[in-house]
Amino acid sequence: MVEINWERDFKTALEKAKKSGKPIYHDFWFDG
Amino acid sequence: MNTGPYSNEKVQKFIMENFIPLKSQCLWDKPTELMQKFEIKWTPTFIIHDPEGKEHHRIVGYLPVDDLIAQLIFAKGKIYFDTDRLLEAIAQFQTVIDQYPNAGPAPEAIFLLGVAGYKHTHDAKPLRQAYDRLIAKYPQSEWARRAEPYSAIPLST
Repeated sequence: MVEINWERDFKTALEKAKKSGKPIYHDFWFDG
Repeated sequence: MNTGPYSNEKVQKFIMENFIPLKSQCLWDKPTELMQKFEIKWTPTFIIHDPEGKEHHRIVGYLPVDDLIAQLIFAKGKIYFDTDRLLEAIAQFQTVIDQYPNAGPAPEAIFLLGVAGYKHTHDAKPLRQAYDRLIAKYPQSEWARRAEPYSAIPLST
């Protein structure tokens, strides 16, 4: 089983995306 | 904690293999910088960015498993389409059409498959084929109406 390992910081996600060539799946969520 | 569609193994595998997953919390009484930057007005909102951060696709509202995966494949197709990687775009749109024909983006995938096919071959037949396919499978969709000008393109040369 593969858990989704979410990034929480946009800049870190961008760095990882640039390095890997993968796009970013960005989920804006509200816990209310 | 991965809940909703994120608890599904197929979704987990697909996201981890194909994307850098990013979650940003929304606070309505004090909108965050990212909420303002991307003009988030409702949740959930899903944005697909290319590796440079440019937005290529946006979905607002909850999605069940198959719709979510179909949207993500479609979004990859749009990134390829927008960056003129047409053969890769065609492959993604074809996957949506073949594997998720009942999902939300299927009619648009047919439309863009026709456009990408035309741009790749400089032959207008893929546009006409897109129209025929949309009329046959999704006659009520907006995409069938958008493809209407292609109905006059002859299929034989």
